[in-house]
Amino acid sequence: MSARVPLVPEVRARIAEIGRVDLLVGIPSYNNASTVGHVVRAVAAGLAKYFPHARAVCVNSDGGSTDGTPRVVAEAGFSTPGALLVTHQLSPVHKILTPYHGLPGKGSAFRTIFAIAEQLGARACAVVDSDLRSITPEWVELLLGPVLQQDFDYVAPLYLRHKYDGTITNSIVYPMTRALYGADVRQPIGGDFGFSGRLASYYLSRPVWDTSVARFGIDIWMTTTAIAEGFRVCQAFLGAKIHDAKDPGADLADMLVQVVSSVFDLMGTYERQWRGADGPVPVPLFGFPHGVGLEPVPVDVERMLATFRQAARDLREIWELGLARDTLADVVALAPAEPFRFPDPLWVRVVYDLAVAHHRAPVAAQPLLRALVPLYLGRTASFVMETADSGAAEVEHIIRRLADAYVSAKPYLVARWTAGGR
Amino acid sequence: MPRAGLESVLSKTLNELWDRMAAFAPNVLAMLVILAAGALVAGAVHLVVRFGLSAVGFDRFASRSGVRTVLERGGVARPASSVVALVLAWTVLAGFVILAIGALDLQIAVDLLSRGFLYLPQVLIALALVTFGTIVGAVLRRSVLIAAVNAGIPLARGLAAGVQIGVLILFAAMALEQLGVGRQIIVVAFTLLFGGVVLALALAFGLGGQSLARDILAQLAHRGPAAPADDARRHL
Repeated sequence: MSARVPLVPEVRARIAEIGRVDLLVGIPSYNNASTVGHVVRAVAAGLAKYFPHARAVCVNSDGGSTDGTPRVVAEAGFSTPGALLVTHQLSPVHKILTPYHGLPGKGSAFRTIFAIAEQLGARACAVVDSDLRSITPEWVELLLGPVLQQDFDYVAPLYLRHKYDGTITNSIVYPMTRALYGADVRQPIGGDFGFSGRLASYYLSRPVWDTSVARFGIDIWMTTTAIAEGFRVCQAFLGAKIHDAKDPGADLADMLVQVVSSVFDLMGTYERQWRGADGPVPVPLFGFPHGVGLEPVPVDVERMLATFRQAARDLREIWELGLARDTLADVVALAPAEPFRFPDPLWVRVVYDLAVAHHRAPVAAQPLLRALVPLYLGRTASFVMETADSGAAEVEHIIRRLADAYVSAKPYLVARWTAGGR
Repeated sequence: MPRAGLESVLSKTLNELWDRMAAFAPNVLAMLVILAAGALVAGAVHLVVRFGLSAVGFDRFASRSGVRTVLERGGVARPASSVVALVLAWTVLAGFVILAIGALDLQIAVDLLSRGFLYLPQVLIALALVTFGTIVGAVLRRSVLIAAVNAGIPLARGLAAGVQIGVLILFAAMALEQLGVGRQIIVVAFTLLFGGVVLALALAFGLGGQSLARDILAQLAHRGPAAPADDARRHL
């Protein structure tokens, strides 16, 4: 399958020169010159410290950076990993720098990494974001080790995050993945993953590289595919994830629509699997969970509530295209309530109703998904108010309560998915 | 005037009328036959298209592609296959009506028919413009409404309605221009109206949002940090 992926002649020659490797670490990048050097050095140190006898390669798949990212990667030292090491690398770590082809996006960068992994016969692979500030050499061991030593196919990351960080994951992606496919993967769209060579080949064989997966939906697609196709999945505790702030110009509606439509698309692809899946089961965890200091995340509850209340007044005509009558009535009734609370079961019905609407008319549902933004802001405002004085453990309990509500309402989803009318 | 003379004139007139009606009857009969045949053919076309499209999954395609939503927003509750079948049936029937009028062989009907044929393309283009404008207006209204609410703009509904009305006026002007109705007046009126709206918006934004405009321009020029309000959403 990798033969179909266009690689530049220099990269083909480099692959022929290297021959075969045991391990591959991929770093997709785009204008990350300020951070990518640290990431490359951490990867090199991790390989030297934890896999000194393995033949390894570090692949940077760049999307045409204009800030000198490839140059920083090329100059990042592999020979002086630092005083952290107790063991020095016995086998050389190779380095491949390549542009990627296809639709611009993280998915196309990953596709190039998968193709190189297949051609080099890598047994265990990992991908890490190039804007990470908190990556340590231990991440390499935690992402590659379960694949190399325990025969797992997919390693999802488990981070510690501030209670108001990653609310799309907490309120939609995590609980839905858990309820639908029965695997309790806490960070399905974490961004840093480990995977086996055979899973990389399987990913390459899927006909998705001209779709949204090539652009933005790669994270949830990889996780869902691994679970739904029956590959062995585990998690690795990586500590805190600190990375560059996202693009301030990035629109919340775009992000939400991209992630949610990817989840809904996958429900169509794996309908048989999620309809037949049993209740959620724990996923093996590697690493040693421990507390870390987290950067506070500012939130503006009043602004979120104002948007929700305005939408309850102005967007009813849009919402009624996708929400069931009872759901819509209950949502609109929330708007004037004081104190404001968006109950778990109602939020779950909103998400499931939209999944059904997307299933019935994917194109027509796109504006509907944009109209989900105020609903999501209302739900998030409710979550922020409910957890204002809560510690990490209590917040996790509240997120777990929501996840259980998704599981309880799954028959509602199945009934509406199967039925024709509202 | 003698009584015999009056009877003669009346009789002659009635005879002439009868002769003309007798001569015209085959044309009327032909017209009725053509109309009846047209109704039958149109009905058959409706049935065949309706069930044919349903059988090949056209309604499902229309639903998934959003066509059905557009129809519903336009007040059309029928399935898309039924709409297509109806349009085709009426088109067929219209063709038969034209044929039927031609069968009358009346000079005035022939003149009307030829004028109608010459004008028909403009009418069809105007109809297409109005239909397209209605759809574009509805889609833009919805997009603007959602974007405005998400951005927290207080008069979101008014803004969305304004955009829709503007689009409808634009396409209506284009349709009337196509029909050749008051060509100059429409162009001038539309130019004045559109220019006035833009000027009003510019004034409103300039007077009411000076500080906002200054902030946006400064941010664009210097690529400075986002406003605190944006920071508060970034984690989401």
